[in-house]
Amino acid sequence: MGQRRKGCDQVPAHFKPNTPPSTTHTPDTHSSSTHRGSGHEDCVKHSICMVSDFFYPNMGGVESHIYQLSQCLIEKGHKVVIATHAYGDRRGVRYLTNGLKVYYLPLQVMYNQSTATTCFHSLPLLRCVFVRERVTVVHAHSSFSAMAHDALFHAKTMGLNTVFTDHSLFGFADLSSVLTNKLLTVSLCDTNHIVCVSYTSKENTVLRAALDPDIVSVIPNAVDPSDFTPDPGRRDDSKITIVVVSRLVYRKGIDLLGGIIPELCANHSDLFFIIGGEGPKRIVLEEVREKYQLHDRVRLLGALDHKDVRDVLVQGHIFLNTSLTEAFCMAIVEGASCGLQVVSTRVGGIPEVLPDDLVTLCEPTVSSLCAGLENVIARQRSGNVLSPAAIHRQVQTLYTWRNVAERTEKVYDQAGRQPVLSLPARLQRLRSHCGAVAGSIFSFFAVINFLFLLFLQWLHPDQLIDVAMDASGPHSCWRTLKKEKPKDPNSAVI
Amino acid sequence: MGADSGPGAPPTVPWRKVLYERQPFPDNYVDRRFLEELRRNIRVRQYRYWAVVREAGLVAQQLSCVAVFLTLWFYMERGDLGPSTLLWASLGFALLGYGLYEVLGGGSRERTRLADLQSAAVFLAFTFGFSPVLKTLTESVSTDTVYAMSAMMLLAHLVSFPYTQPSPPGSLSLNAALFGSVCLASRLPGALHTFAMLSCALLVFALWPCLLHRLRDRAEWSFPCAAALVCVAGVRGLASFWPEGALLLFLALLVLTLACPLLLVHLQRHKDNIHGPWDEAEIREDLSRFLS
Repeated sequence: MGQRRKGCDQVPAHFKPNTPPSTTHTPDTHSSSTHRGSGHEDCVKHSICMVSDFFYPNMGGVESHIYQLSQCLIEKGHKVVIATHAYGDRRGVRYLTNGLKVYYLPLQVMYNQSTATTCFHSLPLLRCVFVRERVTVVHAHSSFSAMAHDALFHAKTMGLNTVFTDHSLFGFADLSSVLTNKLLTVSLCDTNHIVCVSYTSKENTVLRAALDPDIVSVIPNAVDPSDFTPDPGRRDDSKITIVVVSRLVYRKGIDLLGGIIPELCANHSDLFFIIGGEGPKRIVLEEVREKYQLHDRVRLLGALDHKDVRDVLVQGHIFLNTSLTEAFCMAIVEGASCGLQVVSTRVGGIPEVLPDDLVTLCEPTVSSLCAGLENVIARQRSGNVLSPAAIHRQVQTLYTWRNVAERTEKVYDQAGRQPVLSLPARLQRLRSHCGAVAGSIFSFFAVINFLFLLFLQWLHPDQLIDVAMDASGPHSCWRTLKKEKPKDPNSAVI
Repeated sequence: MGADSGPGAPPTVPWRKVLYERQPFPDNYVDRRFLEELRRNIRVRQYRYWAVVREAGLVAQQLSCVAVFLTLWFYMERGDLGPSTLLWASLGFALLGYGLYEVLGGGSRERTRLADLQSAAVFLAFTFGFSPVLKTLTESVSTDTVYAMSAMMLLAHLVSFPYTQPSPPGSLSLNAALFGSVCLASRLPGALHTFAMLSCALLVFALWPCLLHRLRDRAEWSFPCAAALVCVAGVRGLASFWPEGALLLFLALLVLTLACPLLLVHLQRHKDNIHGPWDEAEIREDLSRFLS
């Protein structure tokens, strides 16, 4: 196996959930959930399928969200499988830590790791996964993922409960937003529950998809505080270092950064910049560095592995985020968790993320960001700042994956109690909710999808599809064995 | 906290829009303050009908400019208008326009008169020298093709004309217009005709928009008069050899200046732009100063 595989296999070891697996496990993880309608006590265990185009080996916020959430849900005794598209030669079924099963389905990637969609072609594969795994709740992630929307569409056709998590913000002004917002309206109008990562994101999603705000929950992302610990010994206190870790793209405000660097470097001779990340806007930073002769003071590290991010963060005193839009900014939580002073733009959901004493918020302009940074630099020089350890202590309890999982579990409980709309009711909803034209078109698609499902059920009856074996063995009887002799979590089957 | 917390006693603490604090509300709680930062139509301009009509006058006069140019070309081609007459008239108008431009400029100028004279001399000399070449440029191309090409180019000129910022005319629109003029001029009977026609094209498509822009800036009252004058000239000129075309042009101008603004003002009521904290921030500063 090539380089790519090796790099990816490090992922699970690194992204372990922040708490060790609890010792008590419900013996049979999915037998109660497969009989839906048999009473819904609080302890009901769900069989969840996470679907998104974005998963490891791809790297990003959505990917780690899915992975960490799945791990914590498994720990709580739910059954979780993940479905994504094939990444290169990584296709088929893989197992990650704690028997988390990932289906890499052979679907054609179209753009930016998002699959092409026809509304229909993924039905046979996804149906196979849903039936084999006895899935009860389909949880789709990210509005950029066509596969997630496809899965929601098919799940509703198959009568499964659906939950959707939106990770991003969208505008309303241009043509592309108008189109995508219409598609989101269609996709979410009959979804049982929607999760957003911040209150701003909830407002955005409710407006975009014309939703009832009561079915939208806000559950923030989390950061594993044990991955982002401060290490004041690593930084050089004779100078002041500003760290930026971000993809170098327009939306992250790299143009602003290109204005801040010369401004501040002219004022402070002991100021250094470390910039991690790669992207099309790197050229802007390189030109600035060239023009102002700052090669010794501005270090461009290029693309960073997630595991190296902490080592870069701890070298700095100040973490700077210049994003122009952000639903929930994990980067500033990571920066604060490493004990850095955080300076950020006041955009999107960022003001909700950190308390005022941990972050300095500025307007997205060069002058405002420079003023904010000058302020923090002055405080840093006078020693009038919280110690890294104190900041870390404050941040480490704010966002934990275990808390996210608990809250998501409640969403599943609530979604599970809701009825899945029958086909006539669904058509009614589509047409009353999405407008005459789009509503009729997608009603037609829904009918075709239903007929396709009937055809598949005739071709391959559900009863003839094998029930998949979990990594924990039949009735989870291997789980105790595994405790004694830990299996290599990265071993991949197939 | 959770999606399904029952309707217990209402919590006494007010809800805050923060994520870092665990609040005694369910996750799907909807506060009164939900969407309070929503703004609608904050950047929408309220148009007044006559103001829009005034602006639409610019489009109408540009259309008429093309009609005037075509009229001149038609009479040249028929031989009713001699090249020397056109040249003298062009010279007169150019001097008049230049004088007006200078008077309205109010003394502030980036170029000296000598530089202006030099540019004019260079251009005229080159056009004069090349006019025999231009005259035979399209000889091997059928007349129909030349006419179709000119029509397309003049249309492109009208479509791509920078109506919001007409001085100097955008490079695409000016080039399209000049290309169309060269095509038409190459069908005229003599080399001097071609030269006269091209000088005239430069006057109509390059210099007139500059003057009009200055008129609009410095003497606002004169702009509607000038636009109306050009429109009348365009319709009148077309009417003298093609009455049906003149009628069409007249109707088009009417729709353009009166009906379209009415439609715009009327549709403005249906505008519903949503803004809020989720909008991507815009970089309004000029950041290129750090790189230049």
